[in-house]
Amino acid sequence: MTNTDVIVIGGGPAGLAAAIAAKKAGAEVLLIEREARLGGILKQCIHDGFGLVRFGEKLSGPEYAERFIQKFDEANIEALTLTFVTKIEKTPEGIRLTAVNRNGVVQLLSKALVLATGCRERTAKQIFIHGTRPSGIFTAGTAQHFINLLGQMPTKKCVILGSGDIGLIMARRITLEGGKVVGVYEAKSTPSGLTRNIYQCLYDYDIPLYLSKTVTRVFGDDRLAAVEVCSVDENMRPIEETFEIVECDSLILSVGLIPENELAENLGVELDPRTKGPVCDEHLMTSVDGVFSCGNALHVNDLVDYVSESGECAGKAAANFLRRERTEIELIIGKNVQYLIPQRLDLNAEDLKTVLYFRSREVLQKNSLILTVDGCDVYRKWFSVLRPPEMERVEFDFGPLGLTPQSQVYFRIEEVERT
Amino acid sequence: MKELVCIVCPNGCVMTVNSDGQSITVTGNKCPKGEQFAYAEETNPTRTICSTVKTAFPYAPVLPVRVSAEIPKNRIFDVMCEINKVVLRQPIACGDAVITNVLSLGVDIIATSNILKQSS
Amino acid sequence: MSKYQKICKKIAQLSPEVSVKEERGCIVLRGEVDSWETAVNAGKLAAKDAQYIGVVNDIRLKGFVEHPRLPLEHDASLDEMRPDVLIIGGGITGCAIARELSKWKLNTVLVEKGPDVAYGQSRANGGVVHVGINFSKHSQKHYYNIRGNSMYAELSKQLDVPFEQKGQVLLCCKKWERLLVGALKLHGKSMGIRGVCWLGREELLKHEPCAPDFVIGGMYMPTGGITSPMEMTAALAENASANGVRLFLNTAVLDMETKNGHIVSVDTNRGRLYPKLVINAAGVYSDKIAEMAGDRTFTIHPRRGTDIITDKKAGYMVKTSMEKSPFSILPYQNSQIPRGPLGRIKFMMNILHSNTKGIGLIHSIHGNMLIGPNAIETPDREDTATRREEVEEIIKVQQHVATDLKFSDIIAYFTGVRSATYEEDFVVRRGIFTDNIIEAAGIQSPGVTAAPAIAVDISKWAVEALSSNMAVKKNDSFDPVRHAPPRLAHMNEQERNALILKNPDYGVIICRCEEISKGEILDALNSPLCVPTLDGIKRRLRPGMGRCQGGFCSPLVMQIIAEHEGIPLSEVKKSSVESVVTFGETKGAAV
Repeated sequence: MTNTDVIVIGGGPAGLAAAIAAKKAGAEVLLIEREARLGGILKQCIHDGFGLVRFGEKLSGPEYAERFIQKFDEANIEALTLTFVTKIEKTPEGIRLTAVNRNGVVQLLSKALVLATGCRERTAKQIFIHGTRPSGIFTAGTAQHFINLLGQMPTKKCVILGSGDIGLIMARRITLEGGKVVGVYEAKSTPSGLTRNIYQCLYDYDIPLYLSKTVTRVFGDDRLAAVEVCSVDENMRPIEETFEIVECDSLILSVGLIPENELAENLGVELDPRTKGPVCDEHLMTSVDGVFSCGNALHVNDLVDYVSESGECAGKAAANFLRRERTEIELIIGKNVQYLIPQRLDLNAEDLKTVLYFRSREVLQKNSLILTVDGCDVYRKWFSVLRPPEMERVEFDFGPLGLTPQSQVYFRIEEVERT
Repeated sequence: MKELVCIVCPNGCVMTVNSDGQSITVTGNKCPKGEQFAYAEETNPTRTICSTVKTAFPYAPVLPVRVSAEIPKNRIFDVMCEINKVVLRQPIACGDAVITNVLSLGVDIIATSNILKQSS
Repeated sequence: MSKYQKICKKIAQLSPEVSVKEERGCIVLRGEVDSWETAVNAGKLAAKDAQYIGVVNDIRLKGFVEHPRLPLEHDASLDEMRPDVLIIGGGITGCAIARELSKWKLNTVLVEKGPDVAYGQSRANGGVVHVGINFSKHSQKHYYNIRGNSMYAELSKQLDVPFEQKGQVLLCCKKWERLLVGALKLHGKSMGIRGVCWLGREELLKHEPCAPDFVIGGMYMPTGGITSPMEMTAALAENASANGVRLFLNTAVLDMETKNGHIVSVDTNRGRLYPKLVINAAGVYSDKIAEMAGDRTFTIHPRRGTDIITDKKAGYMVKTSMEKSPFSILPYQNSQIPRGPLGRIKFMMNILHSNTKGIGLIHSIHGNMLIGPNAIETPDREDTATRREEVEEIIKVQQHVATDLKFSDIIAYFTGVRSATYEEDFVVRRGIFTDNIIEAAGIQSPGVTAAPAIAVDISKWAVEALSSNMAVKKNDSFDPVRHAPPRLAHMNEQERNALILKNPDYGVIICRCEEISKGEILDALNSPLCVPTLDGIKRRLRPGMGRCQGGFCSPLVMQIIAEHEGIPLSEVKKSSVESVVTFGETKGAAV
């Protein structure tokens, strides 16, 4: 049995950053990756725009990953690739993992565990698309895998449902490869992806974006032949008289990502229904002692830079993990806040300097994030605009507040005068 | 007067551009990059493109590439045509040029992955 | 007025466009109507009189043209074949018959029009091995269900197919329902159904810990079980094939030549065969095949049914297969009950006959919860498209029973078409008007349960029929045992480790949701009944049936298939020849 300080599951940007940070903090680290190569989903994200925050450069996904893989290699961290974790248990000696790879069944024991398991895409059935079962229905990530890793063209003429970033990126990518994108349909009244992607991926290539419209049905016995689209009302219900048929050979879906937390759930980790990721404290430790979460497994990020940042936070904390009592208080969220990470604060921590990630519930102009403790305003930050697709990050030190287990810590977003 | 969304960074500033044929004034940008972008959009809009090139290696049938600097927006598909002609028969590293000075635009097409080097 | 005249009168009231005749002992309806409901209702009226062999309903729906999906392959690979037996249909019934016949030294050929076995009703099936308490005592459904049920444990063991017998539960909400359930129990006892008992709420919770609060108890029927219809059908086909039966997929029967009540030849898309005996196990097309053979005495009126599958995480909500008793009124329906006694009776009848009758919750053999199916009449025999309103209706109704059920638990749904006859019974018999056909027609629920028993009778009749002209000998080398390829996720660590040491491909996980390795996919590609398509692999091993629905694994599975078959990626199909996944290489090659 291999015995180590920190095991990181997942070799994407979050896992790489976590492993590097844990090693730097002095821990023996082992990273487990189910694919043959490190880099995670970045391997297929060949478009640029990664690393602006961290490196001040516009890198492509593989280049961004490469920078971390280099550091990872330099740090001499052990990685088990093509290795799949089948079981995790918490035992008195630590966290026990069972994994399989080409050498057999492997048993591993670790003091702390970082879950950097990423996310998966919502599927056609999960958004209740009906009709026949032809080939030609892909999630955007699968289409991306075919085009960017296998050099295979999954479509000549497609409809894209959902204006998530991967869908927008794929609209441009398919166009560059000679495919036709008939349109991008978004059931919501505002786009889900970043504004700049709407411009540089759709408008630059004359691809129309249809808001408040969705795909309800597919046709075709063998290969997809057409889809049925329609407008939706404010409750997202199809409006009968607006149905129309659009001919295409593919339906590409970019309708949301779901953090992958099946392993976490098996360990009994408490999940936040809003983020679909674990409930964490300021060190990104989950409700299970010694188990940490980061990256898209924690919550779906729109920028990889913050994925790496959360990985570093989790990795460092995992290396420094000492079993001790936690005194936790809830960070309560209210008006206009879709979610906030961390969800809890461990008052026993030495340092309460915390990075907060949050999203607003809707598009808001000229609003402030307001923090109150026991009813008193203690912090305000003004934003000229807040959009749900664009995660916001603030740093805040809770130390000076002198919080007690009875403190009511409450975040809300409200329209207030800029101070 | 027209409205323009800056695509330089994720902020996506909505800018107002005034052009009287002589001079260009930009408002709404949070940083100087926005002004540069607006100016370029008015005079010579440029873009980055990312794509792949074919390889002769079965484990990586395509290799990701991008342009080393922005190219004129109206040359995107011409450059794509050049990219599509390439078949890599030698493993190259991330950052190596696949095409130098593509279409005499003063820009290279460079590899953005190390997969061929790592796997060879 | 004779019964015939009464039927004529009633049908005339329904639609003046329909003619009613008595022909060859059958009641025959013809004409053209505007609504399918009228055509079906006319058939149901005609079936009310049991003195006929069956209802031949040829009423057409105005503007509706049937378009059976036929395989694109055209060759002569079966031309001039002279098998002793030709089985038409590779569903669970046809494959069970094939296996049963392989116990005899016969030249048996099975043809299936789809690209895989279990491609019709058998694929869109929840897998319940039924108790059969609600069948009429004199029906074939009862006769074969009770026999089939008792064969399942042994058969599953021989063929290495998963089978669980945790029972079936009928939930009751009101005390008086116990009386009606008691009557059902007596009925069951008189039919030979064992072990049925009433359980109070406390006892019931041991079997179904998530039964909703308003359930006061229920009827527990221990003989209910669950199988995997796809795995069972494939196992039957593989075992039949190992014992000498030849199976041809993508092969459709297009026509037959008959002479003096005898089938001379059978035309397919792969040539003309001259079988001595034909067995009709053609599912939703079984009346068409009977018609070609001149032996039609029945009509299939296709009935759609939709099932919903949840994530395995929601599988805990049901442990057996449970449904509310046909009499029970759920709390949400209380407010809908009319006041007057007549209204109440009418309401009860409606509940008994509503389309959602029979919808239940099933703990599938793979651990998911299955919800459904509903029952909707359709003129289209292959209308397997799902519909929003139906799926939403099923979920809403079942949320009253599975109270934790959320829309986000659902990972997939599918529709199948049942081959219902107007008599609502199987047509398992020797030919009446044709001497060399045997019918295994109109097999809908409980066909999965009944198939092994049907196969026993049909095989016996086939051997009898052939024996008049030839000596039919036992197949001494018949081996009833089939070994399923290893499923590593179900093994303990030592077994798993040992297998990976022998074959490292078993250690490479391709499907993360269902934990399926490359080695297992290669096993399926090397199996006796290899279907090297995405669906062929998915249906055998389940990659793509988990919560990601193939998003991660489908490109990987395609690569394994392409490599194994030595074909380019773009030649790997989802299922049929035309169901291409990719159009070839990027870089302009596709355009």
